[in-house]
Amino acid sequence: MLEIRNLHARIVDDGTEIIRGLNLTVKAGEVAAIMGPNGSGKSTLSYILAGREDYEVTEGDILYNGQSILEMDPAERATSGIFLAFQYPMEIPGVATMEFLKVAMNEQRKARGEEPLKIPEFLKRVKEAAASLSMDMAMLKRPLNVGFSGGEKKRAEILQMKLLEPKLCVLDETDSGLDIDALKIVSDGVNALRAPDRAFLVITHYQRLLEHIVPDTVHVLYKGQVIKSGDKSLALDLEANGYAGVIGEAA
Amino acid sequence: MNMHAQPQRTPAETALIDAFGDRLSLLPGDGAVMLKRDDAIETIKHGLPTRRVESWHYTDLRRLLNTVPDFDPAAMAKAIAPIVEGSAVVSILNGKSDAKVPVLEGVTFQRLSEKLIDGSIAPGLDPYGSDDAIGALNTAFVADGYFIDIADGTKLEKPIELQNLQAGGQTHVRLPVRVGAGAKAVIVERQTGDGAALSSSVSQIVLDEGAEVTWLVVQEQPETATHLAQFKAHIGKNAKLTLFVMNAGGKLVRQEIMVRTTGEGADFKLRGINLLAGDTHTDVTMVLDHAVPHTTSTEVIRNVVTGKARGVFQGRINVHQYAQKTNAKMACNTLLLSDDGEFSTKPELEIFADDVICGHGATVTEIDHDHLFYLMARGVDEKSARGLLVKAFVAEVIEELEDEAIVEALEARLDDWFVAHG
Amino acid sequence: MPAVQDTIDRVRKIDVDQYKYGFQTEIAMDKAPKGLSEDIIRFISAKKDEPSWMLEWRLEAYRRWLTLDEPTWARVHYPKIDFQDIYFYAAPKSTPGPTSLSDVDPELLKVYEKLGIPLREQEILAGVQKTDASELEEVSDNVYKSGRVAVDAVFDSVSVVTTFKKELAQAGVIFCSISEAIREHPELVQKYLGSVVPTSDNYYATLNSAVFTDGSFVFVPKGVRCPMELSTYFRMNEKNTGQFERTLIIAEEGAYVSYLEGCTAPQRDENQLHAAVVELVALDDAEIKYSTVQNWYPGDAEGKGGIYNFVTKRGDCRGDRSKISWTQVETGSAITWKYPSCILRGDDSQGEFYSIAVSNGYQQVDSGTKMIHLGKNTSSRIISKGIAAGFSQNTYRGQVSAHRKATNARNFTNCDSLLIGDQCGAHTVPYMEAKNSTAQFEHEATTSKISEDQKFYVMQRGIPEEEAIALIVNGFVKDVIQQLPMEFAVEAQKLIGISLEGSVG
Repeated sequence: MLEIRNLHARIVDDGTEIIRGLNLTVKAGEVAAIMGPNGSGKSTLSYILAGREDYEVTEGDILYNGQSILEMDPAERATSGIFLAFQYPMEIPGVATMEFLKVAMNEQRKARGEEPLKIPEFLKRVKEAAASLSMDMAMLKRPLNVGFSGGEKKRAEILQMKLLEPKLCVLDETDSGLDIDALKIVSDGVNALRAPDRAFLVITHYQRLLEHIVPDTVHVLYKGQVIKSGDKSLALDLEANGYAGVIGEAA
Repeated sequence: MNMHAQPQRTPAETALIDAFGDRLSLLPGDGAVMLKRDDAIETIKHGLPTRRVESWHYTDLRRLLNTVPDFDPAAMAKAIAPIVEGSAVVSILNGKSDAKVPVLEGVTFQRLSEKLIDGSIAPGLDPYGSDDAIGALNTAFVADGYFIDIADGTKLEKPIELQNLQAGGQTHVRLPVRVGAGAKAVIVERQTGDGAALSSSVSQIVLDEGAEVTWLVVQEQPETATHLAQFKAHIGKNAKLTLFVMNAGGKLVRQEIMVRTTGEGADFKLRGINLLAGDTHTDVTMVLDHAVPHTTSTEVIRNVVTGKARGVFQGRINVHQYAQKTNAKMACNTLLLSDDGEFSTKPELEIFADDVICGHGATVTEIDHDHLFYLMARGVDEKSARGLLVKAFVAEVIEELEDEAIVEALEARLDDWFVAHG
Repeated sequence: MPAVQDTIDRVRKIDVDQYKYGFQTEIAMDKAPKGLSEDIIRFISAKKDEPSWMLEWRLEAYRRWLTLDEPTWARVHYPKIDFQDIYFYAAPKSTPGPTSLSDVDPELLKVYEKLGIPLREQEILAGVQKTDASELEEVSDNVYKSGRVAVDAVFDSVSVVTTFKKELAQAGVIFCSISEAIREHPELVQKYLGSVVPTSDNYYATLNSAVFTDGSFVFVPKGVRCPMELSTYFRMNEKNTGQFERTLIIAEEGAYVSYLEGCTAPQRDENQLHAAVVELVALDDAEIKYSTVQNWYPGDAEGKGGIYNFVTKRGDCRGDRSKISWTQVETGSAITWKYPSCILRGDDSQGEFYSIAVSNGYQQVDSGTKMIHLGKNTSSRIISKGIAAGFSQNTYRGQVSAHRKATNARNFTNCDSLLIGDQCGAHTVPYMEAKNSTAQFEHEATTSKISEDQKFYVMQRGIPEEEAIALIVNGFVKDVIQQLPMEFAVEAQKLIGISLEGSVG
């Protein structure tokens, strides 16, 4: 589903190279965990996948279902099925969450050549999804993410993921700022979405999240490269021994 | 407009125009300097600005400055101790510089009268615009001051204190300063005296690349004096200027501040406190031009208004069309403590570049009742509690300055004011 | 916010010609000769069958006007106006005085139909899809009402028809053209006209006092809550004509009225002058809510043509506990010079100003408000949202003052500007004047562009760039949109979208 080939990317503003020859393949139905110390390029990778203009790909390619996505803008990538759950979801004042969901869901439908959702059907879907994440509907009448707590923002991200039905879900540090109960709800939400035709890229600093969302593969990112790949036991190993060992091994 | 007859000249306007004729031969400089003086007096002949001139909306100079004192005072001003011990002091007494200047490595002091006579200062005498009454008044009559040059890379350990001291009469001085690349200095500008003077004072500073300057204006004129001042600065690439202005005196005061960022990475900080008492009028007017990309500024002004005092703060931030990535923030907070006092503020933003973050906030309030209650609940009587809170309100701005000696010195001035007006 | 998608669809449908109200209509017109003189004023007054006191009032204003200079303090630039090249009076031939719709020229009715203004009394304002409304209530907190709206339609210089007059009369509400009020209710007009904006107030207000041709008059008697929204729809049609309307609204003790005004004009290469005066009087416990959607022709993409909109609007909270609220959505006009103000005279009175000013192309906007606190415990609130795009200049200018006796005056001002593109300018010029130690003023202003982070977030959910910007802009102005009656809110959101069309590069 996703194939990243020898990717090099830098910050447009100052030319700093963050991703330095990254290779990664994720198959449909797979849950891949990306781990790595701070500053290894984890969040940058998620932004580049989603098409953020602050980064420039200088070499290599990103293939999604066999097609390069480098020339696509963020909205095109999103309607093709790539979803990024942000580490820090943006607050958009004045835009009601409900309205935002409606517009976004209808954009997905439009891309698939479907009619916009009828209001009752839309409301039904949102209510169901919100209930499954223990979210209060009253919250959805508020402006998008404005005044939401850290946990509420993360839940709202998962709610959007559920409703937009993406094929490639990128979760950027979704566990940060969550207490244990919220972590459970969010993880259950993600697990419920696991499907043979859907892949996940779970970016995290700690093993904690991976106890709840059990990965098929684990990749260690360091200085903009995948330096080691393995199965879920690699995550446990990192938890026990830290990154130093793996980094030393690679060096 | 022709439809309206030119109003009759006020006694002040007449006196200034007459004085210019009388004193022409006494003013230093000829040629280029004289041409500038002639232009300047033409501006005065058109009349002092009234409230109809937008930049003078809250300070109707024509009405407020109805008469002016004669030029020569009866007494002689005396030098005073600097606010920070060990400062290099240069004094201007009754508008005249002293031939004796301190010897400081990397610093050149030159009497301004010499630069007027040799004409080298002439280009700096141009007014800021058609409404620049202070610039015009000063250019017409400026007789002395100091030119100071701080050589590249000079790092001064102690402040330089420029004292402009009057004993009545009129004084018109100028203080041009160049701070060389990478140089670092603290400059204190003292404005005080003890007569019913009219004083105009123009400070001009140019900061070369990477220079860092903290400039303090400490204005403590007597409640009989008219003080019209300008502070103009150009801040070069990666240079930093912190301007601290304290107004704690004067009958009619206008302190203008015109700052321009001229190199990327330039940073400007303005911190001001206005302590207003008696039947006085104090106006601080700032025009800040962010003229190149990637420059930053913050301005914080705190005002305390007591008695029948009237205060004004006008602050305009201009962000020029190509000055992208400008970050500018301005705040003006006022405590209005008496029913006869007033404060007017006009914080303007003029923005022609889109990729900027600019904002301003302004408040006029009473003392926070919750804070007052808290202090009183701890056994502080109301009068002392109020005093504490008012002082804290302005001291906050002083404490932001990093240099401990400076903070102490300014807090001492603050204490003096509260003792006199508390 | 159902209008977001709608706005976008609307924007998409419109290609080159963004201004859909730009059509002209051939209607037989009755005109005064071009230019301004005492004779022209006598002509206007005679046309309207006015009593002699009214003519004297006009002439006095005219003589005063001759001594005044055009103001220059606003941040707008335009060539000198030749007042001798303007028609000060132009009226459709079938007037004066149609008493019912059947008397109105069918061509004229077509104009309003085309503009979507309901003059037939059974209609409601266009823009609300009622079928969707009940379902949408869950989505949005806005309440959809099948509100009936009484309309006064002003075509060039005269009011052509006022609807629902009978039903309003039953409630004791007078809603008619100002010309009719001068004839039928002279005691009310004499008492209140010029009492808020005196004839000597300013250059354009003085001109208006001399030459105003029509406008609306509303009187809501003591204790009456006006049973429906009142609205005036202004249309400038005739070439080289100035429109000088005068509106007077009086809410007696405990009365309430909500009034809406909308304006459009044909697309013409010449600039046209619009100089209106609106006076509001609220007595004890009365409330007046005044909403404007101003969409005069803004000129073409090169800045040619468009309306010069020089308007004086002022409300007098004359009574204790009275309240006046101005809401404006300004998207049109080549030049806007407009400061709807409140004089907070009564104790405990309240003033509000909610504004959205959108400028694009070569438009110049200098608009804001004045809140003059005179009474005790008065409060005011100002929310201004400026959006500048293209080559436009957008200035907020506002004054808040507390006089000596205005104990406990309170003001909160929030004024935000958004810049779209690097050729436009956004300016904020607030004046705050406190002369009372118990006054509390709070002012905050920001200027920025649309945040790249926000845009990226919205686009990551599959929403294309232009729509993402429309969505964020609509969010930015939400606080003000909420203040509008629902029918206008929908229309206003569409207008904002259309006005910004083409600004995203």
